[in-house]
Amino acid sequence: MNSDCGNIIRQTVKKNVLLAVGIVIAVCGAVVISLLPPLVLAKMIDAMTQKQNVGFTFVALYFGLTALTGVMEASREGFLTVFGQKITHALRSSLMEKFTRLTADSLNKQEPGALVSRFVGDVDTVENLFTSGIISMFADACRVISILAVIWFQNKGLALVLFILLPFLFWFTRYVQKNMLAAQVENRRAVSRASGHVPETLHNIRTIHNLSKENYMEKRYDEYIQQSYHAMEKTNFYDAVYSPVILILNAVVVAVVMLLSASGSPKVLTLFGMSAGTAVAVMNYISQIFTPLESLGMEIQTIQSAIAGVQRINEFFALPEPAPKQHENTADSKPVQNNGKSFVEFRDVTFGYDEHTVLKHLSFQVEEGEQITLSGRTGAGKSTVFKLLLGLYEPSEGSVWIDGREAAAIDRKDRRFLFGYVEQSFHRVAGTVKDQITLYDEKISMENVKEAAELTGLHDTIMHLPDGYDTICTPELFSQGQWQLLSIARAAAARPKLLLLDEITANLDAETEKEVLEALKRVSENRTVISISHRVSAKMGRIIPIEQKL
Amino acid sequence: MSKQTFTPNKIISYFKTEWVVLLIVTVSGLIYNLGLLAGPWFEGRMTGCLIDILNGRKTFYNMLILVGCYVLSIAVVQVSRYIKRFYVRRFANNVNRRMKGILYASLVEKSRPELKEQGMGDIMTKAILDVDDCVEGMRKFTTEIFDTGIALAAYAGMLLYYDWRLALLSMLFPPVSYLLAEKMKTIVQRTGVVYKEQSGALSSATLDRAENAITYRVFGCEQQRKQAYEENLTAYEKAAVSANIWNTMMPPLYKVISMTGVLFILYFGAANVLGTGWKVWTAAIFTTFLSCFTKLSVKSSNAAKLFNAVHKAQVSWKRIKPLMNPVIENEKPEIRTVSQLSVQELTFAYPDGENIFENISLAAKPGDIIGVTGAVACGKSTFGKAFLGEYPYQGSITVDGKELGSLDRRQHAGIIGYLGHAPELFNDTIENNILMGENKNVSDYLKLVCFNEEVQAMPDKENTMVGNGGVRLSGGQAQRLALARTLCHKRPVLILDDPFSALDKDTEKQIFANLKKYMADGIVIIISHRLYLFPQMNQVIWLENGQAVTGTHEKLMQEIPEYAQLYHAQEGGSIYEQ
Repeated sequence: MNSDCGNIIRQTVKKNVLLAVGIVIAVCGAVVISLLPPLVLAKMIDAMTQKQNVGFTFVALYFGLTALTGVMEASREGFLTVFGQKITHALRSSLMEKFTRLTADSLNKQEPGALVSRFVGDVDTVENLFTSGIISMFADACRVISILAVIWFQNKGLALVLFILLPFLFWFTRYVQKNMLAAQVENRRAVSRASGHVPETLHNIRTIHNLSKENYMEKRYDEYIQQSYHAMEKTNFYDAVYSPVILILNAVVVAVVMLLSASGSPKVLTLFGMSAGTAVAVMNYISQIFTPLESLGMEIQTIQSAIAGVQRINEFFALPEPAPKQHENTADSKPVQNNGKSFVEFRDVTFGYDEHTVLKHLSFQVEEGEQITLSGRTGAGKSTVFKLLLGLYEPSEGSVWIDGREAAAIDRKDRRFLFGYVEQSFHRVAGTVKDQITLYDEKISMENVKEAAELTGLHDTIMHLPDGYDTICTPELFSQGQWQLLSIARAAAARPKLLLLDEITANLDAETEKEVLEALKRVSENRTVISISHRVSAKMGRIIPIEQKL
Repeated sequence: MSKQTFTPNKIISYFKTEWVVLLIVTVSGLIYNLGLLAGPWFEGRMTGCLIDILNGRKTFYNMLILVGCYVLSIAVVQVSRYIKRFYVRRFANNVNRRMKGILYASLVEKSRPELKEQGMGDIMTKAILDVDDCVEGMRKFTTEIFDTGIALAAYAGMLLYYDWRLALLSMLFPPVSYLLAEKMKTIVQRTGVVYKEQSGALSSATLDRAENAITYRVFGCEQQRKQAYEENLTAYEKAAVSANIWNTMMPPLYKVISMTGVLFILYFGAANVLGTGWKVWTAAIFTTFLSCFTKLSVKSSNAAKLFNAVHKAQVSWKRIKPLMNPVIENEKPEIRTVSQLSVQELTFAYPDGENIFENISLAAKPGDIIGVTGAVACGKSTFGKAFLGEYPYQGSITVDGKELGSLDRRQHAGIIGYLGHAPELFNDTIENNILMGENKNVSDYLKLVCFNEEVQAMPDKENTMVGNGGVRLSGGQAQRLALARTLCHKRPVLILDDPFSALDKDTEKQIFANLKKYMADGIVIIISHRLYLFPQMNQVIWLENGQAVTGTHEKLMQEIPEYAQLYHAQEGGSIYEQ
């Protein structure tokens, strides 16, 4: 129940213990092993200066350690890629799980575009946070610390110099990175202004030609491009200035160390004294310490931007779910005796959204095979009656029964076979014509599909499509009336006993309406039908008034 | 400037025009990349010096000089690096700007039907996007030719100088890693394509699930859809792992392969130092050699980048090239006075359609205001557009005896002023929208269209931004702004299509009075469905089912019952309004 990003990551780690251990080994291994080659090199150089032979063992050791570092790094990256994907998979699964459990109310409030960016974009930032944020930050921090430690043993003075220098350097790195980010944002704005000029030109081309403003527009475009360069030049400045500053500093540190170890003063030498081999090793380390420092800055940036994504995901996980309510028939959906002799029954139902009461003590019955129309003014609660029947909401008082079962407790899998629902407009799903009718439900056979299409009179139209029932649906494939027929076919495909029709002809012209109503007549035969309609032409059967009681 | 020799469809031209910038890039690039050798060289010398000091052969002052030179040379090298980077980008920016300018210039010359109906608009828009890729490739090429090409050559040269046998032996390996990377590229591309497909599939599956959430719930399909989504996720995971794993795992391994040469350097180099090898080395040379080789093997991994950049640039250049036509300098339109406009038996149809209207005739002289009206969809807007010359017409429209269709665009634009339904405003200030570069007083035109007071009340006055397409203005404000722009670019014949539709009656009357005075020396054709100004028009054209009746307001009131009916209905309506 209480899932959030942290929990899911923890669970993923638990599920993939071996992988997690592998990552730890690879990360630590790469840090430690990469420290060793310069030490080996120092030994070799010292041996050489004393005119001793360098054994092949040392050579092999040096190369072996370098290669091992590479292998460690490669496996670290590989493991992280796999692991990062495991996390995104787990996160998306749980998000979908959560999505399925949401109340109808919060489901309605989800903006589809925003939801996609949560599922796709935000989850990717969490992966980034993990793969190129936290873990690499840990690795880089380890690198800095371990290099400092090694330098401490080689040359205490240098370690002290670096201790003083590093915070300043880090501050400088962050300063440059922050400014660069700001400049990039500005640049992006300027670039979008310049690229917006082209569609604008296309849109206003008549005015441009008519007023002979071709030259003016060209000049404007050039100005916009120049403005974007102006913004870009700032980015370029920071980009171009950072490395030179760092490398000059690197040279200065090397110079100072060299100078001090050559000073000859015994006092200085207790801190800075070193052999030639050590000097080479130390120079090697100094240049190694600057790279992780720069990466640390970038990682902080990644983490900062990822945190926002994590927060949005956690907000989604915190959305309300319907409280599990005890129904008289939750255990199995078998009809309970004596609960309503009628096929559909509203028993003293009161219901409202939030504070606003819509239905008050509403009761009515519909017998099997009956066809009725709900009537009432806009806002009287007709659609709400449907939502209660569909089990999207539960009444706050009283109860709603269909075929002897309480509506909200009907198992989701069974619903389709009990009732079909047709709305004002068709909701096209991704996929083929057949998928529109089945909604990917495997329990609905091809026979069912054809039967439903024939009932609505769509079969011939569909057979004329390039791939028949397997034609991929696009918005232009059918006319509005045909889409509505498809909607009826979708509802009828599972041969439900009850049809719920909500203003199904509201968007159609008179001619099309006639066609749809005729199809409906065929489909309604031997079925219970409850419909909502304002149009006189579409009303049928007994009328049940729904009024808002105040 | 080598303006005459500039051929926009030859890439070399762009390099030629930027020769000053490129010269700076070359000089600083050479200093930087050759100067890179200074680092390893000095490091070796300093180590050697330290050994000598420890052995008492040299003193602190030798070291001081050496260290001073080291820092100085690094500083020079790094400053050149800064200059080089800065100017490479400037070069890229200049080329980008020039290319986009050329493309845009030919876009803006294309006619509306070409852009909208023949899809040239989309093609040109894509080409402008392609410029970014192309120039990015050119930039990388310029950068890498120094950073990789010259630097590699310099390092290799230094290695060969110290010990050519050892150099050749150790340099065998970087190309091996490069070849391997090339071989891997096909796998990387293949898996990349699959990954892209899968991520597209995942996005659309998510969108489908989100958009149809209630439908799936009502039909009880949620569990099944969840399982289907799970399958999507699994496929995506697989594709993502196989696409990314090569990209992330291989670079460290390439580095290891390139570094294999180190084995020889350590072994034979040590022999050199001990005096038993091919050359006689000091420990300092040994250090330099090793450090040079390390840098070479890192650099060589960039060689692939060079080829990729060039390849990418070539692909986008191929798409842009046919569109890169030389810029034609536009002349200013010839604005002339017109003493007579005559329309005879004008019939118009769009290229693929029936006649919109037939046989309209009309004669007008300066000072005339002509009203055009009719029922909805009677073709009155199309009548206005016939004067634009976007499509050919039958019959004739002559201005002082010259056929409108035979004029070139400059001459045409100098005679006909047109304001359509859509205000076609630019995302710019009010002032720029009206003047569009003309040097005139903006408030004159604001007053003409009764917009001045409202503009003065805005916080930024004339400098108020109107937003994309004028979204920040009300409909009436946008309409008046567009009219002010048309009036600012005065032409002897003005065609205004429904210019007052979003204005209240008083403002409309005031603007009409201003317009009459302002256009006393020109001809105005006003297309409108509101008739209360029509009694003031010199002539009225009534259009119905493609047929036209021309006459004065009074004549039409008597002869055309529909016209009279429409007029009275609006007059009555306006009394009711008051």
